[in-house]
Amino acid sequence: MMRYLLRRLAHAFLLVVSVSILAFLFTTLAPGNYFDEIRLNPQIAPETMVALRAQYQLDRPLPIRYASWLNSVLHGEMGYSFAYNTPVVPLLLVRAKNTLLLTITATLIAWAIALPLGVWSADRLGRLPDRVISWSTATLLVIPDLALALGLLVLTVRTGWFPTGGMASVDFESLSSLNKIRDLVLHMTLPVAALVLSALPPLVRHVRAAVADVLHAPFLLAAEGHGIPRRTLLFRYALPAAAHPLVSLFGFSIGALLSGSLLIEVVMSWPGLGPFLLEAILARDIYVVIGGVLFSTIFLSAGNFLADLLLYWVDPRIRTESTSR
Amino acid sequence: MEPILKVENLVKRYAKRNLVGMPEEFLALDSVSFTVSAGSTLAIVGESGSGKSTLASCIACLETPTSGTLWFEGTNLVQSAESDLRKIRPQIQLLFPDPAGSLSPRWTILDIVVEPLLLQGKLARKERTTRAFSLLERVGLAADMAERPAAELSGGQRQRLAIARALTLQPKILILDEALSALDCSVQAQIANLLLDLQSSLATTFLFITHDLTMAVHLADEIAVMSHGRIVEHGPSTKIVQNPSHEATQQLLAAVPRLPRSPWPAIQQ
Amino acid sequence: MIHQRRVAIWLLVLGALHGIVICAGFFAPYNPVEQDRKNPYLPPMRPHIVDTSGHLHLRPFVYPFHLRPGSFDQYMEDTSQPRPLKFLVAGGRYRLLGFLTARLHLFGAGNQRIYLLGTDAFGRDQLSRILFGGQVSLLAGLLGAGFTLLIGWCIGAAAGYYGGWRDDLLMRLAELFLALPWLYLLFAIRAFLPLTVNPLQAFFLIVAVIAAVGWARPARLVRGIVLSAKERDFVRAARGFGATDFYLLRHHILPETSSVLLTQAAILIPQYVLAEMTLSFLGLGVPEPVPSWGNLLSNLQQYSVLVSYWWMYLPALIMVPFFLGYLGLASALQERAETYKIERSLGSLA
Repeated sequence: MMRYLLRRLAHAFLLVVSVSILAFLFTTLAPGNYFDEIRLNPQIAPETMVALRAQYQLDRPLPIRYASWLNSVLHGEMGYSFAYNTPVVPLLLVRAKNTLLLTITATLIAWAIALPLGVWSADRLGRLPDRVISWSTATLLVIPDLALALGLLVLTVRTGWFPTGGMASVDFESLSSLNKIRDLVLHMTLPVAALVLSALPPLVRHVRAAVADVLHAPFLLAAEGHGIPRRTLLFRYALPAAAHPLVSLFGFSIGALLSGSLLIEVVMSWPGLGPFLLEAILARDIYVVIGGVLFSTIFLSAGNFLADLLLYWVDPRIRTESTSR
Repeated sequence: MEPILKVENLVKRYAKRNLVGMPEEFLALDSVSFTVSAGSTLAIVGESGSGKSTLASCIACLETPTSGTLWFEGTNLVQSAESDLRKIRPQIQLLFPDPAGSLSPRWTILDIVVEPLLLQGKLARKERTTRAFSLLERVGLAADMAERPAAELSGGQRQRLAIARALTLQPKILILDEALSALDCSVQAQIANLLLDLQSSLATTFLFITHDLTMAVHLADEIAVMSHGRIVEHGPSTKIVQNPSHEATQQLLAAVPRLPRSPWPAIQQ
Repeated sequence: MIHQRRVAIWLLVLGALHGIVICAGFFAPYNPVEQDRKNPYLPPMRPHIVDTSGHLHLRPFVYPFHLRPGSFDQYMEDTSQPRPLKFLVAGGRYRLLGFLTARLHLFGAGNQRIYLLGTDAFGRDQLSRILFGGQVSLLAGLLGAGFTLLIGWCIGAAAGYYGGWRDDLLMRLAELFLALPWLYLLFAIRAFLPLTVNPLQAFFLIVAVIAAVGWARPARLVRGIVLSAKERDFVRAARGFGATDFYLLRHHILPETSSVLLTQAAILIPQYVLAEMTLSFLGLGVPEPVPSWGNLLSNLQQYSVLVSYWWMYLPALIMVPFFLGYLGLASALQERAETYKIERSLGSLA
């Protein structure tokens, strides 16, 4: 029902607004007079200073600063980066695009591997294939992503198979289109591998658990009795029934698209949102930090909302609950 | 004789929010009125959804009615404060339909029976234990089982334990909500006999909530029939069963399976 | 019963691992901040039993390194001076558990230096740094998880028991915290607080920040349990005997939450240790010279270190046995909780 979804949407919106307030609050915890530092910064021209001061009410109390920032958001801007001397939004968009390139690829690959593996594992519960898969995922699970990322780097340094960082080779611009794509893929391989390897174990386990739960249901035994082939049974009967927890999980995957790859980006020197935000945090570039946190929150809320939408569509129980009585 | 319990125009509405956020109402009790004399046995009979359990909860002060009055020994329970209710509740004990859910599975039998006494804090430890053991004996549970966890009991034994616990504080009113429905047939007969035995030896007022008309006749002197939140008939058991006037009563009667040699002479054709 | 034993086994394993870290002073040959500037980036010294002339020694020994002639950063073993490993030696003074002083170390080589895991840029013994670093990282994880669970428990119990607007408000707050990209928030909070702060303050700051961010999920779980427990008949029965809210919570409702809290602890602790490691790795955590597993890895961000000094990678692997232990514990606890549930539902079939 429309009203249900509208309610969830309003909820998500409220959440994003609350996060922006929180983020603003945190920046005021910075000791010392931040804005005096800005004024002394030789990189920023005095005219820019005056314009900034006017636009963002830089030396006024917090609520006014927040209000003027909110005002600029409504005009499509999100503040000004003091370190880069440019508005925040274009900077963030470029970096976010790079991050999404990695994370979307990694998410798709991870789910494409996890679904069949998990289903197969649940099908052969307790037997050899299941145990092998369970042991491998457990092994991967106990290796922290930091170790994984660093380990892949060490490996590549020793073997020279892949470039050891960055998104493009030095001579990128001079390559042909085909070679450009090839270059990009080569650079992407390591970070995507690291992301997939760290995301895979919990995914496989969840799919396995969800499908294993469903496999005991009487309706599946009945379908088996009708002579439906095993693979159809698994993928067209069992998997949809196990959809509820999996869709929520998928929502989480979407929500983490912008924020889950920070560490790997830093280690592999991928020019994404993560390293950029880290830099901004260390440089106290407030509006960049707030903008970045907000971007991630928006993605997280969007992911949850998408999950709610999908759940509504996929699980008839939710539909009937909202219209019954 | 002054009635021990007087229910007047009791109304209970449940407000629920469905998923969309629109409030919905459900009328469980629709202006219920009746009186109960001290020491008598009343059975409240009705099909599922007629409001019997809600009525039981309200009388036991575990739910607050939306409106109406509930007179117990001169006090209006609906308007009493929580601190007063806490003192009154031990005198009106409610037994739940599923004994498994109402007994904390990890506790031992002795602990369960002693708990009410512990809560009231009036007796010394030795006296509590003595009282507990005598109650266990009264309901037919062997004393050597006292240290076992409640999870090890069978359904019938659990119900006995629940009854024992309900009697520890010597309540004036004992309400049994579908006390026999969760049990096997043979066990039902045993517990029914126990209840009859207790009725004759204690001065407690008994209220039976059930959907089984035959059981109601067997256990109680009076019957009140409920349907859709209202009391539609109220009178002596034999009269209700031989001369049902309301449609609901007739339906309940019709649902009783008729065996060629029925042990219940009151319903014999 | 099998499940009780499995839980006990994992607890034992974890206890042993933590025990080694707690007694880092005993197991580590040297003080983690002691520098040996003449021996930067020494590779690990391998213990031998057979020397170059084929003799078998009863006591294992190592060879020191000296510079390969003609290079300034390549080392080779100096086989002319074997250094025997002595066990249970008296060495530098250290504090056990913060207040007992002792001088006994598991092994050492008198006043000569043994570097079983190599040294770092300042010549500090990596083995000692890893062991002492564990104290910092593990403590951060344990304390953080403890605080988070405490906060989550209180809030969840309050929301579930009282219901109504209190429940709504607290759960909205929880959703807010769950929606935050917590890694970013962690960094932002940490970075906007004073960057130059002494190690002890930094440590507690990190613990507080980590704990403050993660309470929402345990709170939701506890709330769910309290909500359903509140409606259970045995709670209603206890109310029938005149129980107060406090009594109900303490004796009937909150004990139901114990298993979920334990499982959450087993899941959260490694996550929080990892959070501390990530923070320190990126320079936002425990500062030098105090070692933590995270900042031991931070110089790996330099390409030269990554390429040439492979033993600097070892602190990344030290977490693995601990993760394994916690994972095993969490699984065993979850299975035990499942069997309780099944037992309870079967028990009603009489």
